[in-house]
Amino acid sequence: MSGGFTRIPGKDCGFMSVCEISAGVAGGKYSASEITEMYIEKIKSMDDGIGAFLTVCEESAVAQAKALDEKIRSGKKPGRLAGVPVAVKDNICTDGIRTTCASRMLENFIPPYNATVVEKLLSEDAVIVGKTNMDEFAMGSSTENSAFRITKNPRDTTRVPGGSSGGSAAAVAAGMVPAALGSDTGGSIRQPAAFCGIVGLKPTYGLVSRYGLIAFGSSLDQIGPMTKTVEDCARMLEAIQGRDDRDSTSYMGEYQQDYAGRLGRDIRGMRIAVLKEFFTDGLDSEIASSVNESVRRLEGLGAAVDEISIPAAGDGLAAYYIISSAEASSNLARYDGIRYGYRPKEFADVDELMEKSRSEGFGAEVKRRIMLGTYALSSGYYDAYYKRAQKYRKLLRSQMAGVFEKYDLILGPASPVLPFKIGERMGDPLQMYLADVYTIIVNLAGLPAISVPCGISRDGLPIGLQLIGPHFGEAVILQAAYALEQELKLEL
Amino acid sequence: MKISKDDVVYIAKLAKLRFSDEEIEKLTGEFESILGYFQSIDRMDLETVDPDEFADGRETVFRTDENVISGDREKLFRNAASMRGTFIQVPRILE
Amino acid sequence: MNYETIIGLEIHAELKTKSKIFCGCSTQFASEPNANTCPVCLGLPGTLPVLNEEAVRLAVKAGTALNCKVNHMNKFDRKNYFYPDLPKAYQISQYDMPVCTDGAVEFECGGRQVKVRINRVHLEEDAGKLIHLEDEPYSLVDYNRAGIPLIEIVTEPDMRSPVEAVTFMRMLKSILEYCEISDCRMEQGSLRCDANISVRPAGQKEFGTKVELKNINSFRELQKALEKEEKRQIELYRFGESHKIIQETRRWDSGKGRTVSMRSKEEAHDYRYFPEPDLLPVIIDEAAVSAIKDSLPELPMEKYRRFTQEYGLSGDDADILTGDRHLSEYFESTVSEGAAPKTAANWVLGDVLRMLNESGISSSEIPVDPVRLRRLISMVEEGKISNTAGREVFREMFVNGGSPEEIVEKKGLTQISSEDAILELVRKVIAENPKSVEDYRGGKTKAMGYLVGQVMKESKGRANPSVVNELLTKELNRA
Repeated sequence: MSGGFTRIPGKDCGFMSVCEISAGVAGGKYSASEITEMYIEKIKSMDDGIGAFLTVCEESAVAQAKALDEKIRSGKKPGRLAGVPVAVKDNICTDGIRTTCASRMLENFIPPYNATVVEKLLSEDAVIVGKTNMDEFAMGSSTENSAFRITKNPRDTTRVPGGSSGGSAAAVAAGMVPAALGSDTGGSIRQPAAFCGIVGLKPTYGLVSRYGLIAFGSSLDQIGPMTKTVEDCARMLEAIQGRDDRDSTSYMGEYQQDYAGRLGRDIRGMRIAVLKEFFTDGLDSEIASSVNESVRRLEGLGAAVDEISIPAAGDGLAAYYIISSAEASSNLARYDGIRYGYRPKEFADVDELMEKSRSEGFGAEVKRRIMLGTYALSSGYYDAYYKRAQKYRKLLRSQMAGVFEKYDLILGPASPVLPFKIGERMGDPLQMYLADVYTIIVNLAGLPAISVPCGISRDGLPIGLQLIGPHFGEAVILQAAYALEQELKLEL
Repeated sequence: MKISKDDVVYIAKLAKLRFSDEEIEKLTGEFESILGYFQSIDRMDLETVDPDEFADGRETVFRTDENVISGDREKLFRNAASMRGTFIQVPRILE
Repeated sequence: MNYETIIGLEIHAELKTKSKIFCGCSTQFASEPNANTCPVCLGLPGTLPVLNEEAVRLAVKAGTALNCKVNHMNKFDRKNYFYPDLPKAYQISQYDMPVCTDGAVEFECGGRQVKVRINRVHLEEDAGKLIHLEDEPYSLVDYNRAGIPLIEIVTEPDMRSPVEAVTFMRMLKSILEYCEISDCRMEQGSLRCDANISVRPAGQKEFGTKVELKNINSFRELQKALEKEEKRQIELYRFGESHKIIQETRRWDSGKGRTVSMRSKEEAHDYRYFPEPDLLPVIIDEAAVSAIKDSLPELPMEKYRRFTQEYGLSGDDADILTGDRHLSEYFESTVSEGAAPKTAANWVLGDVLRMLNESGISSSEIPVDPVRLRRLISMVEEGKISNTAGREVFREMFVNGGSPEEIVEKKGLTQISSEDAILELVRKVIAENPKSVEDYRGGKTKAMGYLVGQVMKESKGRANPSVVNELLTKELNRA
């Protein structure tokens, strides 16, 4: 490492927060270029051992940083993420930068446009340093379904980082970037955040634009921030949220603009519900105790915690997999090799071109979900599966709305299991699906939820706590998460 | 949940996917267990739920009818494997 | 044994919007393939649709013009299938909650009062276009058309003959053009039609097996295709082979002049419809529907009735005039300026239409305004200029502008009606054409026409023809 970095704290193993960097760069304490260089170096030296990145954007990042330094030098006011290096999950489109969804199908796909969230990051002067690994097309809970590489959990490199936003989680956890964007359809931000011991937030459906997010489950997907601290998470959310004319499902009403400023408020009197349905047989005992300890600490801070039951909450998995697979089967039908994407070497006619392109370009899990989804929508089965699943969804929504009339937030574990060993769960798809039980109801109901570290297992593995809020209740969950973070002061 | 290999082959056709015999075999087994699990949705009491899917009461967002030029055509088609002039080219389709 | 023919139609019309249904790309014809495309209509990964409000307005307008009920809430669904011209591998359409339902169009045809009920009008996006190369093993795809807004209009099987079907189509085209909903050009593809036809023995209650006909590219082809298929089916019935009529799609081959069974694809068309999750439902309130209803112009059938009943125009004349809304409005303006309806109709259907066809100018931009036309008509009616001169004046006004009075002045076209002046010319012509005079006196009345023509020529067309006729006859009969 060159001596030029010595005046920057955390150059080797310390940590710099989003807030610290943006304030420092805006205030002239550091230059964007030196920050960017430092983080690119970190990535280059660390990522071989972790495998978080699919693409490192050194050239464009350096150019972005340089332009920002120019901008600051000329007296212009920089954006609120000035100079902050951000990693972006590889299912979010970046103009001119390969976006693969960790799939052979899009191995060489270069989008001609930026996702809205990327445009927002750039307009706030963040620096995009790389695209992160994920489960192929966001289908999976361990990032083992990537067509290109395995990502290792920085806490224990024999274990998975979770998924599908495993690359983003690992990059943040390892200190390769202070912040990353992930996407969450059934827990894909929250579960890897819990596995890697970082903060991950899935916003209310519609709060963050989906334009440019390569679709998996259209009615479930949301992009969200993944960071080391709750404050950083709040700042990132402020930057990426907002109505978007290019996304019809984007929320067009009023919403909170300032989350970071509301952190640190007293949580005395906050009414917290703990879902009985979360404490099932399958829940690891260490996780259970960690969650219970968090409950005690929150009570100590003045929150009122009750145990409640939402009968529909235990039955969400079937509905989730039916809806997400059905939507995915349709969203992924466009990949046929004709306009872009993988093309087989030989094909006799158009049908064979399309068939081979899809069969060779997609991995096993993706094909499995497409098949499930196609089945669920097929004639004769639509009513039995998809329609019923949507009915269930309505029921769940109304039950959860009922809970939020009496409570400010719902609390529970983010995952029933601790981070498992790489390769351990690849055999049985159903078993993998069952582990999503705590997170999917949030997506089905369109609610916001955050995963915040709440403990460490005997083996040193991180444990995450999930806080679920009402629609557009990001401020509440961030507030509670912050209070817990400050109270626990975990050394992670 | 009984599902036959023929069902799986039919679904594969609808989804424009092709599988080897072993893969079909494996998928059929997996389907049975996954769909068997999906059956739990049958047991729920959903009679009181209005089939209208739109729960949140939001209304549609419109675009005004005006032209927007979308920039560079080179960029738009740079990922196309085979073009002829500005057409996309595919093997001849028989109608 | 008599047979009854049952026909239903499924029509697609391109809506006259500036931009596509889900993105801002132009809908104008572009000579270059893939010129009007963007990430959204190409279905690039990560893109999302946003609904064009004008497309909805026009769909509601179409529904109200067809007397439909406009649904308070309508929504979009995905119709999933694979084809190279379909970028997303699904078409965003409307399945169970379309914009409009339950309408009807009534008209008279072949002595029967026909009521064609409209089952539905719904919105959907168009697909791209495929071109199959002749001598190379390739097909080419152009996505300019992908995403253009369409309305699909489905009728009940209420038509009983190919002629009724074509008449209905003409009515529909006329209505859609009047309301400026679509350009309705079948040859260019902005109006497309598939037909369903079955026959049954007269008196039978159940419908026979219906056959779908595709690839119909004009009204004439529609009639021919239906007639051929009707004949085919009836013949099968006559030979006791009606079981050979299977529910299928047949392609109209205009070259061969018959319908051909399309290779039935084994893959069932399981479209797996489900509600489009990227779009929210469309709510249309009563106020909006009223406003659109109020904005409807007088429809062709109503105009036709007025023209025949109030103006006393012949059915044929009324038909041609009402066939073009701008032309009919031009005609009516001329009448309201003071011209007699029948005279105005003659002029509009004669010289105006002729000049429009010659010049290629559209009826919405006739360069001679109704005021000047009316003045010209009056000049002819009052005998100030002859009919022939009048037509010359009109042509001049059309091509170069100017007022009728000025042109008559400049060209010296004032009609000569003075008997003295004409008598002089008549006598001159008689003197110079002894043979014709002899022929006439010998009983060849045709010679009169020649002599009149000669007088007209002498007067450079300005002589009042009826005076010429009168005086010539008098003179010829004198001797």
